[in-house]
Amino acid sequence: MPPDQPTGYLIVSAVLFTIGVVGVLVRRNPLIIFMSIELMLNAVNLSFMTFARYLDSVDGWIFVFLVLTVAAAEVVVGLAIIVSIFRTRRNIDIDELDSMRG
Amino acid sequence: MQVFDLTPLVLLLPLLGFLVIGSLRLFGLHEHTEMISWLGCGFVAAAFVCALVSFVTLTNAITSVSDTTLWSWTDHTGNLSVSIGLRLDALSAVMLLVVTGVGLLIHIYSAGYMHGDPSYWRYYSFLNFFIFAMVLLVAADNFLFLLVGWAAVGLASYLLIGFWYQRPSAVAAAKKAFVVNVIGDFGLLLAIFLLYSKFGTLAYTGILFDPRNPGAAAASAFGVNDPMLIAITLLLFLACAAKSAQLPLHVWLPDAMEGPTPVSALIHAATMVTAGVYLVARTSNLFNYAPTSLWVVAGIGGATALFAASIALVQNDIKRVLAYSTISQLGYMFMAEGAGNYAAGIFHLTTHAYFKALLFMCAGAVIHALEGEQDIRKMGGLRKKMPWTYGTFLVGGLAIAGIVPFAGFWSKDAVLGTLLAQGTASGASPWYLVLYGVGLATALLTGFYIFRLIFVVFHGTYRGETVGAETQAEARARQRRRGDPLARVHEAPWIMLVPMVGLAALSTIGGLYGTPWGDVLSQFLAPVLGINFLPDTFVPQGALLWISFGAGLVAALMGIGVAIVMYLRRTPALKPMRNPLYQLLLHKYWLDELYDWVLVKPVVGAGRLANRWIEGGLLDGGSRGLAWLVGKTSIGLRTIQSGYARNYALVLLVGALIILLYYIVMIRP
Repeated sequence: MPPDQPTGYLIVSAVLFTIGVVGVLVRRNPLIIFMSIELMLNAVNLSFMTFARYLDSVDGWIFVFLVLTVAAAEVVVGLAIIVSIFRTRRNIDIDELDSMRG
Repeated sequence: MQVFDLTPLVLLLPLLGFLVIGSLRLFGLHEHTEMISWLGCGFVAAAFVCALVSFVTLTNAITSVSDTTLWSWTDHTGNLSVSIGLRLDALSAVMLLVVTGVGLLIHIYSAGYMHGDPSYWRYYSFLNFFIFAMVLLVAADNFLFLLVGWAAVGLASYLLIGFWYQRPSAVAAAKKAFVVNVIGDFGLLLAIFLLYSKFGTLAYTGILFDPRNPGAAAASAFGVNDPMLIAITLLLFLACAAKSAQLPLHVWLPDAMEGPTPVSALIHAATMVTAGVYLVARTSNLFNYAPTSLWVVAGIGGATALFAASIALVQNDIKRVLAYSTISQLGYMFMAEGAGNYAAGIFHLTTHAYFKALLFMCAGAVIHALEGEQDIRKMGGLRKKMPWTYGTFLVGGLAIAGIVPFAGFWSKDAVLGTLLAQGTASGASPWYLVLYGVGLATALLTGFYIFRLIFVVFHGTYRGETVGAETQAEARARQRRRGDPLARVHEAPWIMLVPMVGLAALSTIGGLYGTPWGDVLSQFLAPVLGINFLPDTFVPQGALLWISFGAGLVAALMGIGVAIVMYLRRTPALKPMRNPLYQLLLHKYWLDELYDWVLVKPVVGAGRLANRWIEGGLLDGGSRGLAWLVGKTSIGLRTIQSGYARNYALVLLVGALIILLYYIVMIRP
């Protein structure tokens, strides 16, 4: 397979994304869930880069930078929320945080 | 000589006292009663000294007015410019002396009367606030700050009447006083609006005197009995009637006796109720150009004088008799002012302040000694136990009855003489003579009710229960031994007696500055009381003067005589009579009941209906129904919110997969 074919990269990206989805769905520790979300984001970044290269366009690059920035901000906010939840409740099990149940 | 105008200090010292004493609670110092007494009396004493200095230098000065502008409040906001200014002239100087002087004596008296009250600090701070409000009222140099003082005095009376707020009756009385006073405030406010639209300013200088020609009244430009002027003066008088308890707004004053007795002396006898008399005198330049309003003032004053005196004849509560007596005496003052002799009104105001404050203090001493008893049917024979109180009360009684040479004689004669002189002048209205007759009849009733009080309380034998008994058994034991039920009754402490003796002295000689031969007061006040105010025209000439003296004296003595016949014996006539007239008077003409039925009940009823149907039914029911509707319709939807974050993530995933599937299946390349 010539190196400029995107198939391999896309398969890796799909695998990484799936691992991330499963991680979000099955794990109960919010830190792990966060890492899984990062995994999903980076899988998407990988596809963006692949197509950017394949189509010879810079649009994908720009998207990647955007995603990286937003991901960084999201991690900051999310970790802060997790820390403050832990401080008040001494417990961060995601299934026990159900005070918004209808 | 220069005027040494200390009016700002007179105003600010009691304010400072109010703030200092009121904040003692914050520092935990509110239980140092001795310090509080010194502070409370000290601030007012300093204010009194300042008022005295201002007064004395004013009497010797060339100028008759001294204005101080503290600061400019609204400077040419539109066309309105109001400054916080104080005006020292003859009228406000006299009023300041009365307010701070009598106020000081009452402050001193209170140190004895209120001794041991848990809210001593609150009492003194309110008392200082009252003096401040009253000084603002009499010293303001424009109508806006007059209104501020006017309302603040109402607030002070509310706070002090309801001082013992644990008693429901005190709270009700305070509320009643406040509501009735607000009716008057409203009248004053409307009058101020009209004044502004008519004169374009709110300052006394522009409204009472012509700014371009200080010798003339500004109102003279509109001629006599201008409709707008009549409306203004009648609205002003509405305010005066509410504050000075004239018909038909007198109802708050008798109830106001729920407050501590020194408060009754201060607010409801000596100073606050005089605000109305002051305002009429202050705006004499408006009233002079609205003779119709003057007739209303005189008529209401006369009706009130007779009406209130007749009620005082049969009341059995010692303070209530004095309260109705106050209303009646205020009626005298308005009669004099209605006849055009504002100086006589102010004269009677000052002497009345002395003897009525004195009478209230004596009543307070009696109530204090009998541990809160106010019913005169349960008193009697206190003369020997309380000789000082008896003596001073007698002086006050002689003064209010108008016996020579006590203060009340001269001031009451100034009022009656005015009416007689006006009535016998050529071409005069005969109504002046009718008012004169009313005045004489009131003098007779006054002599009767005040001596009835003296005889029933101080003479005869004691009719009440044993005072100061620890237990009921002890009381019964002492009764069996025929012991003295008054064994534990003592004369009031010196701190209460000193102000009483001081006021007794003033009640004796206080009238000498207003005798027909040397009417210093009228001459002093004349420049303020309007253009062409000639005190001499109000003094009956020749033989009429002696007729006026004689008639007043005879009326008072007749009243006293009847009181002697009915009450100065072993068993005074205290049984309630079935006589319908007696019942009418005892129930105060059923006016309270009438107001209750005509005004209070419908308003309360309407409020209750609105509460039930509009508030409860429409508003509460509507919003509750809406909430119910939303709650019921969302029962099924609510279960979707499971609260599990992973659940939501799964739903997101499924949604994303469906969209993906859609693209794959439906959109082929």
